[in-house]
Parts: sequence; C-alpha cells; structure tokens
Amino acid sequence: MANVLDLPARLGALPARRRRPLALRAPWLAPSLFLAPALGTLAVWIYWPLVETFRLSFYEWNLLPMAPQVFVGLENYQRLLELPELRQAAWNTLLYTVGLLPLTVALPLAVALATRDARGRAGAIYRALIFVPMMIAPVVVAVIWRWLLNPEHGVVNAIIRGVGLPAVRFLDDPGLALWSIVFITGWKLVGFSTLIFAAALTSIDRSLIEAARLDGATEGQIARLIYVPLVMPAIVLLGVLTVLHGAQWSFVYINVLTRGGPLQSTTNLYYLLWEYGFSSFAIGWSTAAGMLLFVVFGIAALFGVRLMNRSDARPR
Amino acid sequence: MTTGILRPSRRAVLLGLAGTATAAGTGFAQRIAPPPTSPVTISFYNYNLATANIGAEATRELIAEFMAANPNIRVEGVPVASDQIAARVQADVVAGRIPDLAQIVFSDLDFIVSNFGVRPLEDLIPQDEWAAHTQGMVPAGLRLGMLNGRTYGLAYVFSTPVLFYNANLFRAAGLDPDAPPRTWAEVRTAALRIREATGKHGVYAEIFSSFDWLYQALVLSAGGRVLSEDRRRLTFGEPEAVAAVAMMRDLVRSGAHPRLNPAEVSDTMYSGNLGMLLTTSVYQRALLAAASGRFEVRAAAMPAFDERPARPTNSGSALVIMSRDPAKQRAAWELMKFATSRRGYTIITSKIGYLPLRLDIVDDPRYLGDWTRQNPLIRPNLAQLERLEPWQSLPGPNYRQIGRIETGALNEAVFGEGDPARVLREAQQRAQALMPR
Repeated sequence: MANVLDLPARLGALPARRRRPLALRAPWLAPSLFLAPALGTLAVWIYWPLVETFRLSFYEWNLLPMAPQVFVGLENYQRLLELPELRQAAWNTLLYTVGLLPLTVALPLAVALATRDARGRAGAIYRALIFVPMMIAPVVVAVIWRWLLNPEHGVVNAIIRGVGLPAVRFLDDPGLALWSIVFITGWKLVGFSTLIFAAALTSIDRSLIEAARLDGATEGQIARLIYVPLVMPAIVLLGVLTVLHGAQWSFVYINVLTRGGPLQSTTNLYYLLWEYGFSSFAIGWSTAAGMLLFVVFGIAALFGVRLMNRSDARPR
Repeated sequence: MTTGILRPSRRAVLLGLAGTATAAGTGFAQRIAPPPTSPVTISFYNYNLATANIGAEATRELIAEFMAANPNIRVEGVPVASDQIAARVQADVVAGRIPDLAQIVFSDLDFIVSNFGVRPLEDLIPQDEWAAHTQGMVPAGLRLGMLNGRTYGLAYVFSTPVLFYNANLFRAAGLDPDAPPRTWAEVRTAALRIREATGKHGVYAEIFSSFDWLYQALVLSAGGRVLSEDRRRLTFGEPEAVAAVAMMRDLVRSGAHPRLNPAEVSDTMYSGNLGMLLTTSVYQRALLAAASGRFEVRAAAMPAFDERPARPTNSGSALVIMSRDPAKQRAAWELMKFATSRRGYTIITSKIGYLPLRLDIVDDPRYLGDWTRQNPLIRPNLAQLERLEPWQSLPGPNYRQIGRIETGALNEAVFGEGDPARVLREAQQRAQALMPR
C-alpha cells in the first residue's frame, strides 16, 4: 500500500532526475495537445465531409447502403451546367447581390449617421424598431409580405389603388418579382447593418469631430471626411457579407413566395441547384451542386478576405 | 463514353440485388402471417396527418376506430408532408427504420417500388382474402396502384379533377349555371364573358404544380401522353401534348386565364374573384365554407377537347406495405382493409373530401347516403371514376429532376414568349437524357 501512495511522487521525480522535462524536449507537444480538439473537430466536421462531397459528386447514388455507388465521371456536373436556366440564375444572383448592397450598406450607413446622436428613450425606441424585422422568423416575414403585397386584397395595393393607380402585381410580374424579393430580404437586414454601423460610429474618438468643428467643417464634410473613412472596415465587411451571402439570404423568400417563378425570373444559383439537387436524396446531383457553389463563392470569398485585410491595414 | 460502358454493369448489379431480395423474401415468408394473437405495433407514414385542414382529424379518427376494433394492433401515425414523404421514407430506410405502412403519393410509386424492396400485394396477400376485400371496388381505381402489371399499392385517398364554378358570376355574366361548359372552347367563351361582364377573372386550371397529375389529365384528354406506355420514353413534347399546352397558352393570351401566383389561386376563388377553377375535388369543403352565404359554388366534370371525351387522372396516394416482418405485414394489411372498407371510405369521403373507391356506399343510408344528398357536388367527380386514368409516376433515379424540367417547360410554354412546340420539344430531349437507359 505504501508503495502505491508513493507512486505519484516517484513518477514526478523519476524523469526529472534522469532527463530534461518533456516540455523542453518536445516544445511542439503542449501546443498540439491544446490544438488537437479544435483541429480534430475541423477535420471531422469540415474537411472530411468536403473530401467526401467531392468524391460523391462523381457518383450516382441514392444513399441506400445496399444500393451501389455508380461512378458517372463528370456527368453530374455536365447535367447541372447544361441546365438552360443556369444562365438566368447566375444573372439573377448578380442582380440580387447588386440590389441588396444599397439596402445592406448605403441605407443603414445613412440611417446610422443621421441618428448617431439619438439618445435616451427616443434612441432606445428607435433602435428597437429598426431591429424588429431582424428578430422575426424569415418564413413569417415572407407570409406577412405576401399578404401585404397581394394584388387583390393587400394593404400596399389598397393604398396604390386609393391614389387612383392600377394594382401592381409585385410577386407575379416577371419584371418586378425579383426586386420585390430583394426589397423584402433587405428590409429584414437593415436593422442588423444599422446596428453594426452604429457600433462602429460610437467607437470613433469624439475629439476628432470636435477638432473638425473648430476648424469650421460642415456636418456633411464631417460625415464624408471623418465618419465614412473611419467606418470603412465595417463598410467592407458588410459589403463582402452581402456579396457572399446575399443570394443565400433571399432563398427563404424565393421558396415561400415565388418558387423561382414567374418564368424563372426570381430563381438564383442557390435556389436552382437546390431544386435539382435536393428534392430527392440524389446524392450525385446535390454534391455536384454543392461543389459548384463552393468553388464560385470560394473565389468570391478569397477576393472579399483580401479586400477586408487591406481595409483593416489602413493607417488610422 | 465511360458512362455508357458502366450502365449495363449497374443494371446487372441492381438485378442481382432484386434477385437476392426476392429469394430471401420467398424463402422467409411467402405470405403475410395469420391475424395477430399477441400485440403488434406498426408505424403508418401519413400525409393527411401532417396537414392543417385536409384530414388530420379524420385520419386520427380512422386509426382510433381501427385500434378499437383490433385490440392486438397498435398504430403509430407518423405525419409527413406529401411532397416530402418519399424523401422521408428514403432517409428512414437508410437509417434502418423501415416504415411498416406508408401512404405513397402516386408520383413517387415507381421510385419507392424500385428502390425499397416493396413486394407486390399479389405475393403478400392470400388470393381469397384479396378477392374478398377488393370485391365491389371500382376496377379503374384498383389499377392506380399497379406498376408493370403488378399491384404494389392499394389506392387510398384520391380525387379527380373538378371544374368548380361560381354560379353568381355565371348569372351576372348572362351564363346559365345549369349548363356549365363541357369543352375547353366553351370554357374560353364563358371565361371571357365573365371577365367582360363582371371584371373578375375567368378560369384557372391548376396544372402548374410540381404534382403533374392534372397536367397529365389535360394531355391525355387532348390525345397525348407525357410518358410512353412502356415507360421508357418521355412524350410531353409530342404534337398531341403540345396541342393541349397550346390551348392553355391561348386561354392565357386571350385573357380568359389570369397569370396568378399559384399560391394565391385558391384565395382568389374563395373570395369570389374567379369564375371557374379546375382543381382537385378535395378543395370542396374549404370552398363551400368560404363561399357560404356569399356566393353559390357548383361543380362540373373536367372539360373535354371538343368531341373527344375528357380523360381525367387521379391525384392522391396509395397504401404500400413496406415492412418485411410477416406479423407486421398482417397488421398493416388489416389497417389497409379497414381504411378502404365501406366504413373507412365513409369517414374519408364525408370528412376529408376524397372519393370512395366503393360506389355501393354512395347512396346507402348506412354509409354515405345522407351525406351525398347534402353534398351533390360529389356527383360529377364520381361520374369520372369509371374512366379514371392512372397518374403515371416518372421512372428512374432522376424522376424528380425530370418532373422539374417538365413543369418548368410547361410554365414557359404557357406563360412565356417562346414557341410552345419548341420549348416542350427541347425540354423533352433534355429530360430524356435523365431517363433510365
């Protein structure tokens, strides 16, 4: 028994007497142990699925363990790239992105600048109001807007008819439907972006503004020459986020409100590839669609990250 | 092409699998077990249970009544939305949880039968029991669950296309509500009259949904098909099918048929702003409730192309036994029998609005007699039962993608600018490349 109780002391003593401490012999060991759980998780949940997705995109398979995985080469990619709707979807994706930028960057920046001095109760109420759309579930947002925009009974059209204009078919007119969805997507995001900009603005040193005022700068000049350059990192961040995720953010509204129609006018890359890839568990279609999106938006992300690094590196 | 070389081997593998499955099946259990003497629990994947107003309550009632009559069988209802039921069955089979009994939408029938080792009812059910149960059922209805000459599912809840019309708008437009249009030409005239006289929409045909049953009926009525009889060739771009679509396009261009958002069609009809609506008879209850006290709803049969009689298809689903355990197969069969019995169809027809597969209960006061007298709108629907054409499920592992191309082309051909014949022809060629070879 006594030996057992001695053991910890002896174990601790032994190496110290004979060799240098482990940490000195293998300086890489402790950091790798600390990193291991994170790296392991990354490998298991991100990299391995990515490799598997890549592999399966060359097969035709329905996920059933007893069914064979049939190698079909590039056929899955070929089928997707030959979809005649693909060109329209790619163009629409661009329209969604460009259309969203004013709503996720320009408008929130203007709102944040205009209301930067709102304080007290009024400020709190305003901040709550602008943030409300962000907290409503996307499907609920979609349904509410469907009611509001309904050409026969919707409130918006009641107002339009009230001033003597003909009803507008916001979601059924191929020329308008995409912009209606851009607006709804943007409406939901204005609060979030405004919050980011408001936070960025409050972190600006007030003395800069006071100095500018003393030098006789107008409010417009202060906004243009001091605020905007100083919140540039936030502008770039939201711009990049919009480019990378804009098409994805509109997905729910497309699915609930138009299903890509009328006449493919509201479909985008995500929605089209989801329609073909994910309606059944056709694993080849869906993994090929996933890889295509990964590559396209991966390239966009690369540019985005580079842009962000540059804007962060600016001297302040 | 490498794929061409690989194809035959794949088919061989599949055949081999099918062979082993059948061999194992015959070796283990030729038929279902006798009625249970000890408790059995089965799962029942059902899409009515997943709806808010299309029969969740009635389905629970059906199951409860069945369990009361069969104390040894416990039924666990599993609600799954109709457009997700095939994917859910697939996911659960992959996970090793095979459903015992599933309500399969007819468009998924080929996929389910080809992939999940479903055995035909002719093999499972003793012949005398099958004959006794199916006696008195509409033969056209029994054919709906058949594929390649064998019965894989028993038609359960289904409807036919019905032309609902707003009798008040008919009167306001100087049309006779007692003589509803019988052909598409008459529909066009009536719709334009309604539009001119009342400013409301004329007619809407709900053929544009991802469930293509009504589109198939329209094409069949014009003398075409969407899929060849041997199920190997797509034919929705052939001249007869194109003629049906061209007729729809003309309806739209003339102003008789509005360009509505598909999600808003039923609301437009409910609110009295649409003259005629060709759709599933299941809407009847909701439509009558919405119209009650405001306008009169009537129903007519699906319109024909001139002298050629219309060929209505069915919507809906079949019950498919998926369990491989003979005792559970027996329990599933007992539930199937009850659900499609005189009593079962009385509940289904009167409380959900689907058609009874048994016509002898329609006027029988013990079953639907009273209900039919109060709901004469079901008559045109019943009259179509005898000449019902099965809603064809598209074949192969890419059936969903084929369906997507088909409905995309239909929308483009009816509402778009391109030449319908060319649009459909090109889509047919693209989709044919996805068919099993």
